[in-house]
Amino acid sequence: MKTPPLLLGAVLVFWGWQTGFLIAGSLMGLVLEGSRWVEARWDFSDEDFTRIWNFCTLLLVAAILYAFSSNEGPADLKGLLHNASWLTQRNAGFATARTAFSVLRWLPMILFFFTATQAYSTRDNIPLQTILIILRYRLRTAARLGLPVPVSRTFNISYPYFAVCLFSSCVHSADDTSFFWGFCALAAWALWPQRSRRFGLPLWLTAMALAIGLSYFGQRGIGQLQSYLGNLNPQWLTGFMRRRFDPIQSQTEIGQLGRIKTSTKIVIRLEAKNGVPPRRLRETTYRSFKGRIWYADLTENDFIRVPETNETTFPLLDKLTTEVATISCYLPGGKALLPLPESTARLEHLLAYNVWRSPLGGVLEEGPGLVVFDALYGGTSNTIDEPPNDLDTSVPGRETNTLEKVVSDLQLRGQNFSQALQTLGKYFSTRFTYTTWLDQARFPHKNDTPLSRFLLRTKSGHCEYFATAGVLLLRSVGIPARYAVGYAVHEGSGQNYVVRQRDAHAWCLVWDERHRAWRDFDPTPSTWVTADALDTSFMQKLSDIWARVTFEISKFRWGQSHLRQYFLWALVPILALLLYQIVFRKRHRLWGRKGPRSNQGSLWPGLDSEFYELEEKLAKRGLERRPSEPLSTWLRRVSGDEALVHLDVPLRELLILHYRYRFDPRGLSSNERQQLRSEARTCLATLDQPASLVAAD
Amino acid sequence: MNFAFKFLYRIYRTIAGIRYWGYRRFTRAGLCVLGGFLLAGAMSPDTDNNVAYQGFTFLLLLLVLAFCSSLFFRARFSATRNLPRFGTVGAPLGYTLSLKNLTSRTQKGLAVLENLADSRPSFEDWLAVQLDYERRARSFRFSPNRRSNPFRLAGLKIAAVPLSPSRQEVQVRCELTPLRRGLLRLDGITVARPDPLGLFRAFSEVSLPQSVLILPKRYPLPPIALPGTMKYQQGGIALASNVGQSDEFVALRDYRQGDPLRHIHWRSWARAGKPVVKEFEDEFFVRHALVLDTFAEHAHSDTFEEATSIAASFACTIPSQESLLDLLFVGSESYCFTAGRGVAHGEQLLEILASVRRAQEPGFHKLESLVLNHISKVSGCIFVLLAWDQERREFVKKVRALGVPMVVLVVVESGKKALLEAQVGYDRPERFFVLESDKIEEGLAQLK
Repeated sequence: MKTPPLLLGAVLVFWGWQTGFLIAGSLMGLVLEGSRWVEARWDFSDEDFTRIWNFCTLLLVAAILYAFSSNEGPADLKGLLHNASWLTQRNAGFATARTAFSVLRWLPMILFFFTATQAYSTRDNIPLQTILIILRYRLRTAARLGLPVPVSRTFNISYPYFAVCLFSSCVHSADDTSFFWGFCALAAWALWPQRSRRFGLPLWLTAMALAIGLSYFGQRGIGQLQSYLGNLNPQWLTGFMRRRFDPIQSQTEIGQLGRIKTSTKIVIRLEAKNGVPPRRLRETTYRSFKGRIWYADLTENDFIRVPETNETTFPLLDKLTTEVATISCYLPGGKALLPLPESTARLEHLLAYNVWRSPLGGVLEEGPGLVVFDALYGGTSNTIDEPPNDLDTSVPGRETNTLEKVVSDLQLRGQNFSQALQTLGKYFSTRFTYTTWLDQARFPHKNDTPLSRFLLRTKSGHCEYFATAGVLLLRSVGIPARYAVGYAVHEGSGQNYVVRQRDAHAWCLVWDERHRAWRDFDPTPSTWVTADALDTSFMQKLSDIWARVTFEISKFRWGQSHLRQYFLWALVPILALLLYQIVFRKRHRLWGRKGPRSNQGSLWPGLDSEFYELEEKLAKRGLERRPSEPLSTWLRRVSGDEALVHLDVPLRELLILHYRYRFDPRGLSSNERQQLRSEARTCLATLDQPASLVAAD
Repeated sequence: MNFAFKFLYRIYRTIAGIRYWGYRRFTRAGLCVLGGFLLAGAMSPDTDNNVAYQGFTFLLLLLVLAFCSSLFFRARFSATRNLPRFGTVGAPLGYTLSLKNLTSRTQKGLAVLENLADSRPSFEDWLAVQLDYERRARSFRFSPNRRSNPFRLAGLKIAAVPLSPSRQEVQVRCELTPLRRGLLRLDGITVARPDPLGLFRAFSEVSLPQSVLILPKRYPLPPIALPGTMKYQQGGIALASNVGQSDEFVALRDYRQGDPLRHIHWRSWARAGKPVVKEFEDEFFVRHALVLDTFAEHAHSDTFEEATSIAASFACTIPSQESLLDLLFVGSESYCFTAGRGVAHGEQLLEILASVRRAQEPGFHKLESLVLNHISKVSGCIFVLLAWDQERREFVKKVRALGVPMVVLVVVESGKKALLEAQVGYDRPERFFVLESDKIEEGLAQLK
């Protein structure tokens, strides 16, 4: 069953318009509809159709893999396998859905080759076994075992392709109702030939109008209901909670016992293009400390979208910069905070769908799973962090006594900004030790907190203790401070630097009132770097090599290298080879006009015999051959005509040659074939001559 | 386990019922719209990424309108079906239907569907087929031989009804393709009217119970010399010569107790006033026994169906004017039917074979005793067996010991031929053929 004229073209244009592939859709529509006017037809065999179908299947598989990896499928799946929480399940589900929608969107392009092949072939229908591997297997098995090969069902791909295009058009967000009107119009167009002839046109139109009218209100109702339900969802922020550092809150390990787990996995690569590399890469800061958690005290509305100046440049601050670093980092879940040097003013070559800036200095990006960008920093000490407010000087009540004790011991009160930082730095570096191992308190006091134990008793802890204590001590003497998280940069790798998971670090951000700027202050003893490095495994080298390999693959996967476009171009010769095989192989005939549209694979021999031209010519002279009349009988009748008596012998000889050409399994030799051709031409020429001339001869 | 199978059987019944209803109620366009509706429904909840819900509502409304319009079909009809007596498995069966429009308006754009009796099997039959399939299925392999619906009775074509004026009768050309032998019951017909959009059919049903006997499939047999010599047949040639004026009997004599009634010469009785019987010349001719093994594993067994087809092929091929053919098999009891030389035609054997059912209870010895009691009358035997196990081997061995020539055909599942031939030992009869259920024609062509 074929679609009505222009329907496929229309649906392809509609698909292109709706999904942003207007040019591709128009071209494909033009090619398919062109088959109604182009008379050339190719004689494709079943095998050719199978080959083209296989090619389309390969394209589909490639598209699925591409879409799955582009939509963070592997990361989400890995997350699900590692930790089967509702969040990871949800993420994996989203990744799968996104993959399905991406593939559905591309499906008209993937199936186009097969549809075009049928449109330009000599067949109206294709055997089902060309696309069904199970059927093909059954037929092959039957042929191998010598069983009678069952008659295969055939199909025409026009209507299925129409349905695919129509449904592919819906893969976009609802900006307007253009999809609805287009869908209704195209579906009505497709259903028009299938209408019942029992009823007249007015009734059909009424029924269709009623369906369209009612469904218009129905789809509006569904849209409104969906947005209402969407607004009820309190978990909109869950998208933020899948990152190592969360812009909303940071749960510390303060108070936890045993070994703090660290990983040597490389998470960031840094290349200092101009100037010295930054010592730390900050992701964000927090304001309030409650229990073991630092909170940013932000809401959804506090994140401000950063507009791009061109597609990949995002200005954060308006200032001159002196240094540039190229940073490569993963974005698990496709949305995460970027690790940036202090006082970063601009991000360049950053592939991102969206970038937001928080008042606390965090830069949140939504983009591919891996980003490689240039961070421009240095110059003045201005940062994107907003000036302090009351929250930046608040101290939790439970810690006040401990903090007051330390402040009085150190005589911090009364010291100026620089002196206070110096005193604190010296205090922590000389009296404290860094450790990732935490013991149970031997004689716990009733009012002990983990922080008081750290400051007054154990004097030993990891960076979160030092940073938290530093922030709260500074706040106790009136200096605004924030808790900053990020990574320390210290490990070289050739010309560049690598940052591992274990380099995750916490420090203080202190407000310098004199310069009216935020400054980094790291109270953790500098020995923490070497202490962490002691845990290095002998397998780390191998692990690093593997990390490099996966990094390069990720770069390719996330479009951060130019290899992907080369990969796509690599498909071109494969396609060309396939087309060459199909089009230019000897046994295929290119028909000058529309070929015989039948399912017969081969034509009967001898149908091009010139004798038929003679028959046609004689028929025009009124000597038409009767139905079922043998040629020999007909020739006797022809010879009975007085004007054609002289052709009796040559025609009989021609008939013998024609019969042999037509029915003899051995056929004619080339000389005999030539003889048939030339004698038939002679007879035709004789018939063309006026009767008087023939008589004179 | 049984509970699980019953649950699956319930699912099967429900799905088969829905499929039957769906394929009859929806037109092809309607099925496409229904498929699109389900697809759009599956995509609709994710309104962030797609707008399928817009199409969903439209398709839903199309289906609702189509369904609603089916509620307003009030036409009434009467019908007569001109059905032939017999059909054959796999061969299209054409017939005409006289349909009378009982309404006061002309009806057009209608179609007729046959209502077959419910073909869904009982739980036992269904389970037997499933277990048989499970037994034969190989892990991680495609099964090329599994039929998609082994219980389907016939393939039906929807027949278009020509313009039907009020109170007038029109002829509708119908066609169905029987897929199972036996009695095909037709409960009635359904006159269908599609809705204005051409998606959903409204029905008007006419009760018209009728049945047609579907004969087994037959295969062409090569000219074969059946085993055996001529034997004396009591009753003589009269068995074959009751027709016409020929008087092959040699004399008349008075009736003696025990003479068959068919030998009474009625005209002489009328003339003589006492019963007179005909006395015949002794006749010798060939008489064959066609022994059909009905001890199949289940009622829908492919091998059993093929064995019946082979028996039918023999029944209609053996020249009935020159020999007699006895069909022996065990059904609910033991049966022996004779055809040839005027006793009965091969067609009557086909009718019997159309109705042959699997033996209800195990008991191959019944067939054995039936054949051995009958063996003295026959010149040779043709055995169509379903297996070559110890029981059947012993049976064939006994018949051979009596010196009766025989042809043994064993029908096996596809791919089991080599295995069986490897098992056949010294007790293999001379003319022993193994036929695979999907290569029967090829196997029969090799008969000598």
